[in-house]
Amino acid sequence: MTATAIESTSSTLPTGGPRAEAEAPRRRNPLPKGWWMVIPPLLLVILAVVGKYLVPWDPERVAGPSSTAPNGQYWFGTDSSGLDVFSRVIVATRINLTIALIVSLLATSGGIILGLGIGMNESRRGPVGWTARGLARVIDLIQAVPAVLVGLVVVAFYGASTTSLTLALSVILAPIQLRLVRTEVLRVRGEAYVDAARMAGLSERRLTVRHVLPNSSWAALENTSVIFAVSVILTAALGFIGVGLPPPTPEWGAMLSRGATDAIVGRWWSAAFPTLALAITVASFAGLTRLLFHRRVH
Amino acid sequence: MLATIRQQRWWLVRIAALPLHLLIFTILTFFLLRSVPGDPVLVLLGQNASPEAYDEMQKELGLNGSLLDQLLRYLANVAHFDLGDSLITGRSVLTELSDLVPATAELALMGLIGTLIFSVFASYIIVMHPRNPISRGLKVYAQSAGAIPEYVLAIVALFLFYTTLHWAPPPVGRLDTTMISPDKVTGMPFLDTILQRYWDATWSMASHLALPIITLVISQSAIMIKILISGLEEALDAPPTRFRIASGAGRITVMASVYRRAAPSAITMSGTLFGYLLGGAVILETLFGFSGMGQYAVDAISSGDFVSMQGFLLVVATLSLLVYLFVDLINMVVDPRRRPGVRAEGT
Repeated sequence: MTATAIESTSSTLPTGGPRAEAEAPRRRNPLPKGWWMVIPPLLLVILAVVGKYLVPWDPERVAGPSSTAPNGQYWFGTDSSGLDVFSRVIVATRINLTIALIVSLLATSGGIILGLGIGMNESRRGPVGWTARGLARVIDLIQAVPAVLVGLVVVAFYGASTTSLTLALSVILAPIQLRLVRTEVLRVRGEAYVDAARMAGLSERRLTVRHVLPNSSWAALENTSVIFAVSVILTAALGFIGVGLPPPTPEWGAMLSRGATDAIVGRWWSAAFPTLALAITVASFAGLTRLLFHRRVH
Repeated sequence: MLATIRQQRWWLVRIAALPLHLLIFTILTFFLLRSVPGDPVLVLLGQNASPEAYDEMQKELGLNGSLLDQLLRYLANVAHFDLGDSLITGRSVLTELSDLVPATAELALMGLIGTLIFSVFASYIIVMHPRNPISRGLKVYAQSAGAIPEYVLAIVALFLFYTTLHWAPPPVGRLDTTMISPDKVTGMPFLDTILQRYWDATWSMASHLALPIITLVISQSAIMIKILISGLEEALDAPPTRFRIASGAGRITVMASVYRRAAPSAITMSGTLFGYLLGGAVILETLFGFSGMGQYAVDAISSGDFVSMQGFLLVVATLSLLVYLFVDLINMVVDPRRRPGVRAEGT
């Protein structure tokens, strides 16, 4: 009873200046300005699910003569091995999007859980506080090393598969989310409603779950689509260097790196279309970020 | 004497933290390697190895004894700058890497310098002339932070400037193929040509490096400009600026003060940025045919050379940590409030 009473007061209190301001107009009209930015990511997801059944050629088999320029039969042309670029670009959506979506999910949830754990225990005495402070420092340090290179090494050790790529990228990107959450937890922990809830006799765990979690995770949630974009780019980057999924798996990064040699001699199509796919994906999810950020001042 | 030490404590403490950071990293690398499924000895020798050969190989790789034994032995080796020998070439990993890392680091460093110059310039235009169409364009570009992968940009640049316009030289290395590469002095090829006054090579290298560096600068400047804009806008409105204007200071003095107050977050960012640029340089090397640590890492991966990979990770980590140390020290010089043990008003 007390908890709900406190919660209702806490939601009317301004919790964080810019965020409260940003939310006010959103509540007034149900469809916020720029809501249509949800459509491109949605279309991409649909394409990832059904794309496999729509493409004219098998993406992993030779479809025709190598290095054919785009024409009526091969819409995006064929690459240097004679694989149909159009089919591969479309089918690759599934792999690249699956990895990115799972990574966003894992990195964000992992980041939130760890961020809460570290943030809530950081000022404690004894071994718990020690561990939390130590972990916070170690995570700062890990961020010092470039993500591509850590990914390179992890993929090297565990072998390249969709699972290992997903796990590696989640581990690499979780610290970003963790730091966002931790900063918020440290702020929220000092708020009056948390003290009030504690006085009302809420256990520390319930306090964390009911009051600190909803008020501190928004930064990481808003950042999820950035994580998504970064993981698309990183997956492709690893494929590009040549340590990604083994060929002939359709994946944009690997297609790009093989297409690069073609582009240099003037056959632009086998690199251009994966680039376009990558750009569209990143841009549409950046649009989603913009929508979620909703004129939030940084 | 004691007073001097107490006064200089801030940077001494920060430098003393470096070995600790390195230790943490070494331990993390060790456990990352040990968490890999499968037995590296069996992978190297094949399934039918004799027990003697197995024991010997295990010993050679430092994989015998308890986990703690292995860890301590590994740490002792690293402390002696012994990162082991490559499983493929048999050469010391540290020697091989010390040939390659400076070249990549140079590329990243030139990218960083370019990014800083461009960002300071762009942020000045955006903040001082917000209505200018150029600054509007730059602002849109700054919003794209992190969304333009350098490899995509590089392919586009190569297609445009090499294939179509023939302005750029072919992407087959740092030098024209007919040229003799400079002797190794610092390991950084471009710097070496200047040190040896080998101007032909300097010129050739500059033309080969232009495209990758411009690519790096364009792909990484957005985030820096974003940080600088928010810092500058905050500093412009602050009382110290008004005080300087009110007391009749010149425009240059006022702007210097504004930039100085906006600097710390940008300096911190440039540490992170160096990491990104290093990653970007590794990718671009494969595309532009440069020798460097990117190719080394990819080769080590494809041949399953875990000793090299481990060494590679440690060297990269050390490099990144050194940059972080440097960034922290500069920040403490620029903004004394950041020194440890200093409590400033309002923090």
